[in-house]
Amino acid sequence: MSLRIGIDIGGTFTDLVAIAPDGAVRTHKTPSTPADYSQGIANGLAALLNGEDVAEVLHATTIGSNTILEGKGARTALITTAGFRDLLEIRDLRMPRLYDMHWTKPPALVERRLRLEVVEKMRPDGSVAEALDPLSVAAVIRTLTRERVDSVAICLLHSYANPAHEKVVAQAVRRVMPDVALSVSHEILPEIKEYPRTSTTVVNAYVQPVVRAYLTSLAGRLAALGITAKLHLMQSNGGLASAAQAAEFPAHIVESGPAAGVVGAAVLAARLGEDRVITFDMGGTTAKAGLVEDGEVLRAEAMEVGAGVMAGARLLVGGGYMLKLPAIDLAEVGAGGGSICALDPAGAPKVGPRSAGADPGPVCYGRGGTEPTITDCNLVLGYLDPAGLAGGTVRLDRSAALHAVADRLADPLGMKITDAAYGMVRLASATMMRAIRAVSVERGRDVRDFTLLAFGGNGPLFAAGIAAELGIRRVLIPPMPGLFSAFGLLLAGTEHHATRTLRDPDAAALQPVLDALLAEGLDRLAQDGFPAARCVTELSAKARYRGQSSELSVKLPRGDAAAILATLPDAFADEHERTYGFRAPPEEHVELMGVSVIARGMPARPPLPGQIPPARAKVPASRRAWFEGAGWMETQVIDRAELAAGERHGPLIVQEYDATCLVPPGAVAGLDGFGNIVVTLE
Amino acid sequence: MHDPITEELFRNAIVALGDEMALTIYRAAYSGVLKNIMDYSTAICDAQGRLVAQGLSLPGHLCSIPSALQSCLRHFGDDIAEGDILTLNDPYDGGMHLPDIFVFRPIFADGKPIVWAATICHHTDVGGRVPGSNASDSTEIFAEGLRLPPLKLLERGVPNATLMRIIERNVRLPQRVMGDLRAQLAACEIAARGLGELLARHKADGLRALMDATMAHSERLTRHCLAELPDGEATFTDWIDDDQIDAGVPIKLVCTVRKSSEHMRFDWTGSSPQVKGAINNTWSYTAGASFTAAKSVLSVNMPNNDGVFRCIEVVAPPGTVTNALPPAACAARGLTGFRAADCAFGALAKLYPQLVYAASDGGNTGITIGGYDEARKPFIYVDFLSGAWGGRPWADGLDGNTNMFANMASFSIEVIEAENPLEVLDYEMVPDTGGPGQFRGGVSLRRTWRMLAQEGILQVRADRHTHRPYGLQGGGPGTPSLNALDDETLPAKLTMRLTRGQVFRHELPGAGGWGPPLERALDLVAKDLRDGLVTIEGAARDYGVVAKGEPPVIDETATRELRERLRASRAPAPDVAWQPLDGARG
Repeated sequence: MSLRIGIDIGGTFTDLVAIAPDGAVRTHKTPSTPADYSQGIANGLAALLNGEDVAEVLHATTIGSNTILEGKGARTALITTAGFRDLLEIRDLRMPRLYDMHWTKPPALVERRLRLEVVEKMRPDGSVAEALDPLSVAAVIRTLTRERVDSVAICLLHSYANPAHEKVVAQAVRRVMPDVALSVSHEILPEIKEYPRTSTTVVNAYVQPVVRAYLTSLAGRLAALGITAKLHLMQSNGGLASAAQAAEFPAHIVESGPAAGVVGAAVLAARLGEDRVITFDMGGTTAKAGLVEDGEVLRAEAMEVGAGVMAGARLLVGGGYMLKLPAIDLAEVGAGGGSICALDPAGAPKVGPRSAGADPGPVCYGRGGTEPTITDCNLVLGYLDPAGLAGGTVRLDRSAALHAVADRLADPLGMKITDAAYGMVRLASATMMRAIRAVSVERGRDVRDFTLLAFGGNGPLFAAGIAAELGIRRVLIPPMPGLFSAFGLLLAGTEHHATRTLRDPDAAALQPVLDALLAEGLDRLAQDGFPAARCVTELSAKARYRGQSSELSVKLPRGDAAAILATLPDAFADEHERTYGFRAPPEEHVELMGVSVIARGMPARPPLPGQIPPARAKVPASRRAWFEGAGWMETQVIDRAELAAGERHGPLIVQEYDATCLVPPGAVAGLDGFGNIVVTLE
Repeated sequence: MHDPITEELFRNAIVALGDEMALTIYRAAYSGVLKNIMDYSTAICDAQGRLVAQGLSLPGHLCSIPSALQSCLRHFGDDIAEGDILTLNDPYDGGMHLPDIFVFRPIFADGKPIVWAATICHHTDVGGRVPGSNASDSTEIFAEGLRLPPLKLLERGVPNATLMRIIERNVRLPQRVMGDLRAQLAACEIAARGLGELLARHKADGLRALMDATMAHSERLTRHCLAELPDGEATFTDWIDDDQIDAGVPIKLVCTVRKSSEHMRFDWTGSSPQVKGAINNTWSYTAGASFTAAKSVLSVNMPNNDGVFRCIEVVAPPGTVTNALPPAACAARGLTGFRAADCAFGALAKLYPQLVYAASDGGNTGITIGGYDEARKPFIYVDFLSGAWGGRPWADGLDGNTNMFANMASFSIEVIEAENPLEVLDYEMVPDTGGPGQFRGGVSLRRTWRMLAQEGILQVRADRHTHRPYGLQGGGPGTPSLNALDDETLPAKLTMRLTRGQVFRHELPGAGGWGPPLERALDLVAKDLRDGLVTIEGAARDYGVVAKGEPPVIDETATRELRERLRASRAPAPDVAWQPLDGARG
């Protein structure tokens, strides 16, 4: 019997989920070990395994984003075209906050004296405006050796159109410094716009030595446990990559963790025949929403690392480090169980964005927290079990929560305690609804056509209420909702993304680009060990009406360049109308500005078992819970396994080891064949 | 009367709606000015045209939407039907300058508009004598382009074909202008859906009450923040170099801030009479500058709406450069807005020295290069450069960051080169340009272009060439701006022919410093030396710091001696420094 293991490292806990070929699932939660995260993994594996064979290890890690947030990356140099070394620091000038004189830019990842220039210049059409001056290259290399850098990023202007100069500079560096980590912009992001390309290349360079060291250390720990299976990492785009690929292009694994849950949701949705799903992942400090249509996740073309959560608006940029790489498009808001509820100076109630975090945590944890949080409100309303979270390992002090809600919210607002607590839950829900709207309504989708798939420690508690407010009629709570990201890893496929910038090409110019992109994707899959029969490619275009300054992504049919160009105008106009509600007159020319290929390696076995046996848990028979319009009701409490006996009407609480699912009055809960809780609203 | 939870939910919803409108324009717009520079705003207003919620937007637009909408309401009175969409751009009828076109869409209840969706976008071109319609040397509004009084863009759902044809025929890039107008309509459509849902949920009376409560909430927050600040009055004078027409004649801005209890007043009495050049402000733009400065010293960033406006009064005498009368030209009034913000900040700095930074780069420099390529196809390159904040009482000013008054992004160099017959030769920070101070001002950015087309017209609207960004509390001023053609120095504002191969260079002003530079911590000077933002000569001259070697290392003993000598010999710096400090560079 050989196991497949998913490992998701979070700030507080490392989650492990193992699945056997017969579908039997084992889970383990162990404290993360920030000094060396591989230690925590080894601890978890030692507890989880009992001498079984391991077929695969699939891993999501925050090592990339943590390295950036903590400023602990490699000593990195950047080589640019002469006259442009400050691009990295000037960024695009924009700031994420208005009217705030205290705003401070995130420091550049390469200090100015290590931003070095070579004399050269390409033109946008790839012709040479100024030849590369070998003396300037030699001078740069002398500085690199003297300054003893660990990592070098190279980003020259218009290298997407002609990488010749970048290649020469890279070879020169490699010759003199064979061991230095090297990140070259045309290999990482061969696309127009120098700031995103420079920033992405620099992030790759900055985290590369750290990620390499981590992966080496992890491989050693796995070997010490007798695990020789291949290690794969989750990329921000939702595909897996081999450890070797991840070490080469670590910029792709920076937002590894949040992607895994959405990918799991997409595979699960496809299995269940759900073609329109919104994922809702709520933890202790933030909530994230994503979109899955026809088994495909919604992707963004860029992200910012370390910018903090969005304030509901995705126009204010500049708070973090830009990565222009495909990533699962997640809208994140600062609302979680730990979000603090307080009044502003004008007496209006606010939830978040401040969080009590894990320490001191909510008032009811009894660890010194004094300001009521969303978890305190949920406890006051009877939704949570005072006997405790995580199977009783954390006891909750309901009376402390009651007093905090009364003193700090209900009394100053002139409201009843239950009304105030419920009001805060509604405010938190409204914030989370903004995240859901950001991935649906703002993209021209009608949210009522979707199923809400909720996970994370707090997702199942809020899902039904949010669904009701948005007009969504169907909610799914997958098995192990609190460890769903680790579970999702087991469902992911291998994936490589490659893109090229174009400028309104004819068929003759487009064909070689398509051929090269497809070859590149298949080549990377071959390196990962996939036979051609298990490789699938998918093509999409970036296009715009001539004169427009931003592009829309459009799926392309398979075919040669001429056929693609023939179908593009209609396909683009349809997508434009879907997203913005209008299409331009047909005489307006549609320009093809770029093509992308996704190459997918399909796993040899179907990754999903037929059923995850519903979990049993020790739960009280009932408790009093408060519902709007009905007041206090004696509410049945059951575990997931008990739902197998048949549908139950709300009010109902389904209590599990890692999460609590609230079924309000009027809703009906059941269990599907796979083991998901299905909540149906009127 | 609604409970506090319902009110808060409504506030969240209506602000989110303003943001969704902004996002719609951002995504659907054609023009790079809208998208990269985000020169647009969105808002929700009540039936009286009062601002209820504002989407993310340009701070300078803060007060413009109510002025413009109220002008439409005066014009049309009861003659507004369902399906009507109103528009205007006339600065003397509620607008700001001609490129800014407003679009308003009413949502009806009981046969009358109950709430309005509002958008304003800076359009690439609205005709007139120069490409981009933003020359600073026009002398009356009639030269500046198509002037639209309040009109119906759609009437009962039917597009006003006459108006559309007039617009198309009068602008240089009709496809782009019409595309951006469609983006504005799309944003209004998004808002109409959302406002329709809110109306259905709360009914007309409920919606009105909740809009009132939203404004009252911001008013309470503003009063609370104003009450925290000490009372007082201060007057500050700042200068615009000239208006390009009367070259070398400085234009005065005078701002008196009076803070009393829960009220603050910005009075611009004493400012220069309106000028011939196209830099005259409307009241709304001067007010936008005043509010931006005020909001930056308040402890809470409250939602922008009429409630804030109720506590902060702006007086701008008609006929002055802060509130011009027709037919003054105003296309390039952005400059006066930036200077008004500098001046308002200066007055606040006198009242609250520990809360306000020294002068920033003076606002963006507007650069337009336009003409026709070989195939007689028109091109217009419009760019705005900015980038330095003044030294702050607690930290250095930012380098390479947008001005507070305009959250604008820079264009991609590669895109500029791909889309225009231009080559960009450099874009970088310039050492020794930040005003010296205990906390120094941000450094200047330089950008250089080479013309690749046969010929075109170059227009530059720069300033702070003869009046540098001021330093505060002993800090020195930043360096002046610089324009150069093939290394020959040019005036700050210009309109000229540019021919193939010519090279134009612009350097932004450096920002002002805060506090005495001789008190600057040595580790901060050491970092600037390492980064090459201060040279070894600059460190000695501006900071009394002795350093040598590469990388430069500070000699602490020699520095101590030099600083003592300089302290003894230098005249005390003024509270507001316009000229280089005694002994520093000229």
